[in-house]
Amino acid sequence: MKIFAAIYIGSYEVSLKIFELAARKPIREIDHVRARVESGRDSYQKGYIGYELLKELGNILSEYKKIMDGYRADAYTAYASGVFRDVKNELFVLDQLYIRTGIRIQVPSNSEHRFIGYKSVAFREEFDEMTKQGAAVVDIGGGNMQVTLFSEGKVVTTQHMVLGTIRLREQLAGIKNVVSHYEGQIEELVNKDLEVFKSLYLKDHKMKYIIFMGDYIMDLMKKVEKKSNKIVSSEKFIKAMRKLYKKNAEQITLELDLSNENDPLLILYIVLYTRIAEELNAEEIWAPGVNVSDGMAYDYAERHRIIRPMHNFDEDILSAAKELSKRYESFSPHIDALTKMSALVFDAMKKVHGMGKRERLLLQTAAILHDCGKYVSLAHGPECAYHIIMESEIIGLSHLEREIVACAVLYNTYPLEDYEELADKLDQESYMTVAKLSAILRVSNAMDRSHKQKFKNVKAAIRGKELVITIETVDNIILEKGLFSVKAEFFERVFGIKPVIREKRIYN
Amino acid sequence: MEKEKIYTNSENYENRELSWLKFNGRVLNEARDKTIPLLERLKFIGITSSNLDEFFMVRVASLKDMVHAGYKKKDIAGMTAAEQLEAINTATRELVDAQYSTYNRSMLPLLKARDIEIIQAHEDLNEKQAAFADAYFEETVYPVLTPMALDASRPFPLIRNKTLNIAALIKRKGTDEKEIQFATVQVPSVLPRIVEIPSEKEGGRTFLLLEQIIERNISKLFLNFKVVCAFPYRIMRNADLPIDEDEAADLLKEIQKQLKKRQWGEVIRLEVEEGVNEKLLTILKKELNVKSEDVFNINGPIDLTFVMKLYDLADCDDLRYKKYQPQRVPQIEPGEDIFAAIQGGDILMHHPYQTFDPVVDFIRQASVDPDVLAIKQTLYRVSGNSPIISSLAQAAENGKQVTVLVELKARFDEEHNIVWAKKLEQAGCHVIYGLVGLKTHSKIALVVRREEDGIRRYVHLGTGNYNDSTAKLYTDCGIFTCSEAVGEDATAVFNMLSGYSEPLSWNCLSVAPIWLRKKFLKLIHREIKHAKEGREGKIIAKMNSLCDKDIIAALYEASAEGVQIDLIVRGICCLKVGIPGISENIRVRSIVGNFLEHSRIFYFYNDGRPELFMGSADWMPRNLDRRVEILFPVENEEIQKSVYHILEVELKDNVKAHILKENGEYEKVDKRGKALVNSQDQFCKEAKIKKPKDKGKYQERVFIPAEPM
Repeated sequence: MKIFAAIYIGSYEVSLKIFELAARKPIREIDHVRARVESGRDSYQKGYIGYELLKELGNILSEYKKIMDGYRADAYTAYASGVFRDVKNELFVLDQLYIRTGIRIQVPSNSEHRFIGYKSVAFREEFDEMTKQGAAVVDIGGGNMQVTLFSEGKVVTTQHMVLGTIRLREQLAGIKNVVSHYEGQIEELVNKDLEVFKSLYLKDHKMKYIIFMGDYIMDLMKKVEKKSNKIVSSEKFIKAMRKLYKKNAEQITLELDLSNENDPLLILYIVLYTRIAEELNAEEIWAPGVNVSDGMAYDYAERHRIIRPMHNFDEDILSAAKELSKRYESFSPHIDALTKMSALVFDAMKKVHGMGKRERLLLQTAAILHDCGKYVSLAHGPECAYHIIMESEIIGLSHLEREIVACAVLYNTYPLEDYEELADKLDQESYMTVAKLSAILRVSNAMDRSHKQKFKNVKAAIRGKELVITIETVDNIILEKGLFSVKAEFFERVFGIKPVIREKRIYN
Repeated sequence: MEKEKIYTNSENYENRELSWLKFNGRVLNEARDKTIPLLERLKFIGITSSNLDEFFMVRVASLKDMVHAGYKKKDIAGMTAAEQLEAINTATRELVDAQYSTYNRSMLPLLKARDIEIIQAHEDLNEKQAAFADAYFEETVYPVLTPMALDASRPFPLIRNKTLNIAALIKRKGTDEKEIQFATVQVPSVLPRIVEIPSEKEGGRTFLLLEQIIERNISKLFLNFKVVCAFPYRIMRNADLPIDEDEAADLLKEIQKQLKKRQWGEVIRLEVEEGVNEKLLTILKKELNVKSEDVFNINGPIDLTFVMKLYDLADCDDLRYKKYQPQRVPQIEPGEDIFAAIQGGDILMHHPYQTFDPVVDFIRQASVDPDVLAIKQTLYRVSGNSPIISSLAQAAENGKQVTVLVELKARFDEEHNIVWAKKLEQAGCHVIYGLVGLKTHSKIALVVRREEDGIRRYVHLGTGNYNDSTAKLYTDCGIFTCSEAVGEDATAVFNMLSGYSEPLSWNCLSVAPIWLRKKFLKLIHREIKHAKEGREGKIIAKMNSLCDKDIIAALYEASAEGVQIDLIVRGICCLKVGIPGISENIRVRSIVGNFLEHSRIFYFYNDGRPELFMGSADWMPRNLDRRVEILFPVENEEIQKSVYHILEVELKDNVKAHILKENGEYEKVDKRGKALVNSQDQFCKEAKIKKPKDKGKYQERVFIPAEPM
């Protein structure tokens, strides 16, 4: 049994959850401490974290440290939300907090952050069943909102929207005094973003479920359905929410039996939940009642092999990549062939390149996405692909991993630059990964230059100083063979092994 | 609409102060009950006296404040503060008269019949006794006296709250000066108030009050003066602590400061001996700024609390109840692992019938148990030298996380509490000094233990304070449990008390000041709903005081709809019974017995699926709005039965129960033709029967010789 502590610094709250992790047992939350600290206010208004706030954070984190020690926690993870990403003095604040409290705080990128939050849901039994039938995971926070769509159990897309409750409140601070009910204004702000999202991503997919994550959702759900089995019909939910609209915050608090009277964020949450439920037009709504802290515990438990994942997250990455590739109309048999081919080469080279499962996944992702830039520009395809990848969120990939994939795609076509040139994006290790992945990608790509999938039954194996790729083909492969030697040069430079093609002509 | 108005009409409510005075009257009644042993009766006189003191210092004082502030709002019964003061004055005089007539006419003669004599006036001493008294004065009393005279250069001295003093008029000797001076001397509180002096009778015992010894020798204090007259007197000051918590950065320091100020509060009552010199009284009234209506002429010794000292008189066991020995809790074997016992199932304790030791032991074992991670507890009124405090301190020294909420604002215990708080802090405990604006009245203790199969939380929830001395006198209930739901809530309670955000939701506890009132009203309304639908509605509630208007109005409505309501309210009850169409279905009884009824139990019939709750809160606005209180459900079936049994027996009580009549007076139950039921006695007997069978633990030990293999 292990005791794990998850600290999360959100845009208006600092929370500590203590978990008990044990094999063959559900993860158990033992303690949940919350303190209200509006980091978002400093961040959105001033752009940096001021001294007062730093002091307050320091005090609370020291208290949390004591509580953690009290439980004799075996490990902890501390995350800060996007608020920290948005401020100029992030590094100084993190350093000061470490010196004051001894707690190392990480600031994950949005996609990592969302992935962790999403993990907490994905570990639930209901999850896979729901995503098979089409589901949208909507995670609403103080700064941002993340919507991840699933169709047939696979990720379609994940979109990050700059629609958070505290952010909206700051935007509307001026109007609030002018009108008594500013729900209308909130809706206007929200609608714009939601409509774009809807028209871009919801055309082809029908969502049966909305899975909500965020504050107050459990209380709202309880209001709709007393027997809080946590699933309610969307229609009922919207109806109940629209009723609440007419009331002021105080009345709502009373009706929901909330402890925190007069939270200005409450109404914003209600508006966001309602509007999303209306726009996504799902049949049912599920609120699993988890948040990013639970995800941190699952993540830790998974990494330390305390629990086994219920859900295949690698599949999510691949399907998200495929969706993206489809969106830019680059998905084709060639992509499939290339993905298989590069995996084949990767596996054959295992002893030489020393990379693992994760890199294999990145290679596949890069293969799937390597052509998507052509949608924008045929001449500058690789650059465009690089930017598309960097701007798209692929749930499950960290920021650095995304950079690796994008670079691998870029240097699949262009010659790899020196490390010094890329040092601001990649560390040395990742640079090496990029080099290796793009080398493999190049060779694999060269094998299907004509995009006609001329090769059948490909095998690859290392023989001495050569990587021998044996192929069966009925077609003329002069083009491939000719181009191959050019591509092979870079490969040899990286691995010290020369790839060669052995041809087995099949005549039938 | 109309109906609701009737429920809240102030005519249908009793004033809380007058109701309290009636309660004190019931206590005094015990002193007049001839079936009770003599010293027990004497004790009740002492209790009424100290009760009354506290009542003046707190309640009367705050009413006076209201009058000064021109506060016009009427109370629950539609009386202004001035009207209340007037009514209190009349009622108090009646009570004091009854008190002294009981003391003078029953107690003193009865004591004398048992050869215990309290000599009322020093003039009645015989020669031997007089000599003894004089010697005692010279040797013991004189050195600690500080007489103070009043003249042009010396202003009127500070007379301390609640202290007994002797005022004298003195005249300079040998001169013709007609001028009479005033002097005062405090009867030292460091010396015992009653002094045993030689008895006339062989084997008898005779006592004299300290002030009589001083009075007798008062001329020795003013050597150049002639003492014209000397009389004892006592004042009561406004003692309500006005603490501005927003301003007070450190509550601890602020309370210390206020304690010093308390001695300067406005004088709200002056007690003087009957037949006091008019001139002397005039000076006192003027200097202390007391109005005539606040002067009480006392026919006997002032401040009767001293009679409690007589209670422990040696060799008089026949004049006292046999001391009751709290019985063992059957599920808990002393000295055995208490955590294992709790794991075996929830445990109910009914104090003082059952011993409080397991609670002390709970904390003690936790403090040394290597698996225990944290101990968290609220402390409201702790006993002197509390074993719980030492255990908590030790736990902190053993590296456990100890969080203690010490309520500094517990009335009249402030000084006491500061000492404990400091001691705990020094030991390394995390001490929280209450919450701003709220008193923490809840009684909860949480032990977090890391066991083989995970973290387990053990919780004790009670209706009484963690005070091992009062646990022998107050009737209280407590529950031990390691239920997950309660444990989570208990953790949340302490997080909340530590200043963190309130939990998102509660599993089973209801916590004042935020959720509790709503919870009670909801429960009452559920009964109303059932009654309206033609089903049975029933409420039984036991508490110390009932004076919350919302709750009473809801009870009226319930009664009007046909819900049967039985209330066991020891003290204040602002509800009136038998109002046609309003409260005909409500019955109120008050049990005043040898133990102080203190537990709070609430029963709701809930259409055949009864729900029982216990907690720390009375149905008073202060409990529901300005205190942190916890109400917990009794869910275990066996325990439900036992708790319901408590209510049942108390409703059958016809010895110690007083019934509230329609005219607002309390009367004892008509016992004719009924078997006598004294609930407290019955619980004592039942606790003795419940003792566990010895599980062969003390079986004879046998050594078994090893045999060759």
